[in-house]
Amino acid sequence: MRKPFEMVLRGLSSLWLSTSLLIMLGILTWLGTLEQVDYGLYEVQKKYFESFFLVHQAGPIAIPLPGANLVLCVLAVNLLLGGMIRLRHGKSTIGVFVTHIGIAILLVSSAVKLYMSDDGYVRLNESEQANWFQSYYDWELVIARETESGERVEFLVPQEDLQRAVGPRSVTFSSPELPLDVEVAYYHDHCRPMPKGPAFDVAVPVVEGAFLKSLPRQKEAGENSAGLYATVVEGDGSRTEGILWGFGSHPWTVEVDGVTWILDLRRERYELPFTIELADFRKEEHPRMSMAKAFESDVSVIEGESSRPLTISMNEPLRDRGYVMYQSSWGPQDARPGDSLYSVFSVVRNPADQYPLYACIVIATGLLLHFLRKLTFHVRAEARMA
Amino acid sequence: MKLQRRMSLALALPVLAGLAGLAAPAAAQESNVRTAPWPEAVIEAAERLAVQDGGRVKPLYTYASFTLLRLHGKRSIKTLHDERLTPVEWLLDTLFFPAASSEYALFLVQNSEVIDAIGLSIEGKKRRDRYSFNELRPGLARLFQLANEYSALEEKDRTPVQQQVWILASNVDAFSRLITHMDFARLPIPLRGGELLTGIFDGRSSIRFVDVLANVGRLRELYEELAPGHGEEAPVGDAADFHGLSQLLSAASELTNGTESLALVPPAASREETEAWLSPSDLFLMGFQEGEIDPAHTSLLGSLDEIARNRNDPAGMRDSFETLLAAQTALAEARGELGKVGLELGYYKAKLIDRSLYAFVLAFLLTAFMWLRPKNRLLYWSTNGVVGVATLLVSVAIVVRCVIRGRPPVSTLYETVLFVTATGAMVALFVEAIGKRRIALSAAAILGTIGLFVANGYELLDKRDTMPSLVAVLDTNFWLATHVTSITLGYSAGMLAALLGSVYLLAKLVGWHAGDRAFYSSLGRMVYGVLCFGLIFSVVGTILGGIWANDSWGRFWGWDPKENGALLIVLSQLVILHGRMAGLLREHGVCMAAAFGGTIIAFSWWGVNLLGVGLHSYGFTSGIHTALWTYYTIQWGIVGLGAVAWLRERARSRAAVMSAVADVELGSTHDLHRGGTTA
Repeated sequence: MRKPFEMVLRGLSSLWLSTSLLIMLGILTWLGTLEQVDYGLYEVQKKYFESFFLVHQAGPIAIPLPGANLVLCVLAVNLLLGGMIRLRHGKSTIGVFVTHIGIAILLVSSAVKLYMSDDGYVRLNESEQANWFQSYYDWELVIARETESGERVEFLVPQEDLQRAVGPRSVTFSSPELPLDVEVAYYHDHCRPMPKGPAFDVAVPVVEGAFLKSLPRQKEAGENSAGLYATVVEGDGSRTEGILWGFGSHPWTVEVDGVTWILDLRRERYELPFTIELADFRKEEHPRMSMAKAFESDVSVIEGESSRPLTISMNEPLRDRGYVMYQSSWGPQDARPGDSLYSVFSVVRNPADQYPLYACIVIATGLLLHFLRKLTFHVRAEARMA
Repeated sequence: MKLQRRMSLALALPVLAGLAGLAAPAAAQESNVRTAPWPEAVIEAAERLAVQDGGRVKPLYTYASFTLLRLHGKRSIKTLHDERLTPVEWLLDTLFFPAASSEYALFLVQNSEVIDAIGLSIEGKKRRDRYSFNELRPGLARLFQLANEYSALEEKDRTPVQQQVWILASNVDAFSRLITHMDFARLPIPLRGGELLTGIFDGRSSIRFVDVLANVGRLRELYEELAPGHGEEAPVGDAADFHGLSQLLSAASELTNGTESLALVPPAASREETEAWLSPSDLFLMGFQEGEIDPAHTSLLGSLDEIARNRNDPAGMRDSFETLLAAQTALAEARGELGKVGLELGYYKAKLIDRSLYAFVLAFLLTAFMWLRPKNRLLYWSTNGVVGVATLLVSVAIVVRCVIRGRPPVSTLYETVLFVTATGAMVALFVEAIGKRRIALSAAAILGTIGLFVANGYELLDKRDTMPSLVAVLDTNFWLATHVTSITLGYSAGMLAALLGSVYLLAKLVGWHAGDRAFYSSLGRMVYGVLCFGLIFSVVGTILGGIWANDSWGRFWGWDPKENGALLIVLSQLVILHGRMAGLLREHGVCMAAAFGGTIIAFSWWGVNLLGVGLHSYGFTSGIHTALWTYYTIQWGIVGLGAVAWLRERARSRAAVMSAVADVELGSTHDLHRGGTTA
């Protein structure tokens, strides 16, 4: 029994496996880089770098490959067993050991980022506030009403649940707190509502003369606009059909038992532990050029009664309680001098935000220790030979 | 009355044909040609003049140099009389003798199909040739029409000919702005009007633009006095005055139209108040809007006016240039803007990069002699000295550029080449100092020569100022100093390792130092050592890049092509080190992998820029396909030849083993026959 276990352990910790995994990761990185020209970053990232298996199409030949996720997982095991536990510990390997610890920190940070972080953006006009940010890519269905005191009560359906509503197969969403059920069908990742003309037929339902035309996914994932067919089923069984489209300008409203319910398909939203208000956005250009020299936003971080003013600029984000806000864009791009501008902030909640910095310090220390030792030996060897 | 700034190039293209046509009468009226070479004093003063261009203040020398390079593909041009002009002399000709300059074969056309496309004859011309403005003039309308059509296409979607058409149109546009730039100083403005208007100019019938500028306040007052109010049709007062004033202002506006490309006038206000320098057009617009103009500005424009009038009077011209330079210097120094202009002029005049290249080429030749006479110590130390001087020159050039720009050593693609060359040569010299085997010294000479040829080639290809302003995200000296410098050091070490590995493989192939185990062992150790050095900087640089991305864009790693390129370098170097430790790669294998690694570095350094995707759009470049694929092919060829050498060596050692075994067996048989024992 011990022998097979030892063989597996030896295999998993072997340098042969490390070399193979590094080559495999290199191949995936190379393929994923070239594929971005045709398929865009988002699709390539999902296919090559966030997957466990994939099929790469090299012309007419389909080549099955392990995804970068799988390769990195095995590499982490290999690193732990071979580079840290089974490594012969001593003066000669201390640099290698330290370096491997640094790489382990880096791998942990990427796992934390992949599985435990949220990222998105918030767009603010001057004097506008927000205590949430929204996803770049993911959608959610919101069913909401306003209470008499003016508060908004929301029920949310995340994108992964909506994506189960493939074609005519509807998925019903209900809650004991809701006087209605919502049946969702024909969820599209990217579509556009179109008027139904008499000269053609469509394979999807037509609601009030319109239907959702499915479109191929865009190279830039942020340009995809999801859409779905929703049916509101009231307690008495009466049904109202509607179309929800992500890029639509107005939500759909339905009256149930005298209460107005709002149904909207919007980007998934995440709450912030504070409110952010944009006071002023400034864009500076190089003299006599249209090239941007600097962007910066004066904002206030508001918590209860207190308000803290600060400036967010390129390379100078706001860090607060695990959330980081970056100056990422502005608009409108065709604004004339004197026009009011809006500022766009990328927002990230990443518990491992600073891990790469620690990893970098540890790795650099390890490599320096190892290679300075090697250099000393090399100099001595050359001196002997001379 | 409509006084507006000129449109940007993209918008202006449809009207450029008109502009070029406008240049024709101006040029035609200008019958004077330069009768003597430009006086040294004038050239020196012109070179020291400052201009704001590309978002920064730079010497006119730099502006002229890169403008001529962009239009002509070279930094010198011949007149019709075979006089070779420097960039500043050409610019002076273009500004003050536009008719003559329009005859110079200035515009480099890479493909004669462009000339066909605009309906001109290419008879007597080569496929790649140069054309004068006057030769192109009949086809300009068609040229701008086509360029306007192609401007709707993204650059990557244009055919090579379409791209060439677009480039030619841009160049002709730039030139047409230059030949009309001094119209305000060359051409008189006829003055017609009533007493109110002519009274301002002492009853003269013809005035100059500087007169308009000097009296802009009074003209503004007169305009306000005479202009019809809202809802009124007829002008107030004398209609002749109003119409004369309108014509005068239109003429002044027309004469300064297009002068925005050359901003020679520092504002009177501080840099904090306004950064942008002024052109004659700006001065006129500003003066008329504000009703006054700074006397220093009028004086500066007056000097330009005098230069234009004295263009064939060397003494007058020299005095006017000195006055102009003094006026500009006073204004710019008050704003603290001339600090780096002299240094930049000195940098270009010293030709540090060219001199370094010559030294590296000399070192390369000395290297060849050194290998022919390996025991000659003088030759060895001379080569060391020349490589050292060459490395020092390029290093000084990098330091001076840092001072001029106020930036760390690397912030553009051009600077990566200089930095890789300098640091690669330094590392090679360090390795040579350890082993003194002449190999690293030779590698330094080769790397330096190739590196600086590439730098010059890139400059000629890109044809733009190599010290440009940076986009907002790059405006951080901390990350430029740490991430970019580390990554570039990684490139440098990787390229040196690839070169040393290639030397190892080719040496094995041709049987150089055959049987000298110590030679190959030392070379193999050099490759390994340089790879280790490179790995430190590649790993640290890549992670620092992620940390920078985290600070700028909110994510450590985004699988962007440039990031992936950096990762590929790290992975390739890790593969070599792990493969070596695993016994999968020995000395020969490490050298083959290092030689192959050169292509991975080239892909990351230049190749991903050609993909045209990703966030690192400030690093995009084009036109380097051929050079890149040439390098890939050479390196892959060397790796292939290395494989052949390895197979041959293996076959030889097998044969040797078989022969030894056969000898042993034969010996045994012989012993048996001799009747010996088998023990």
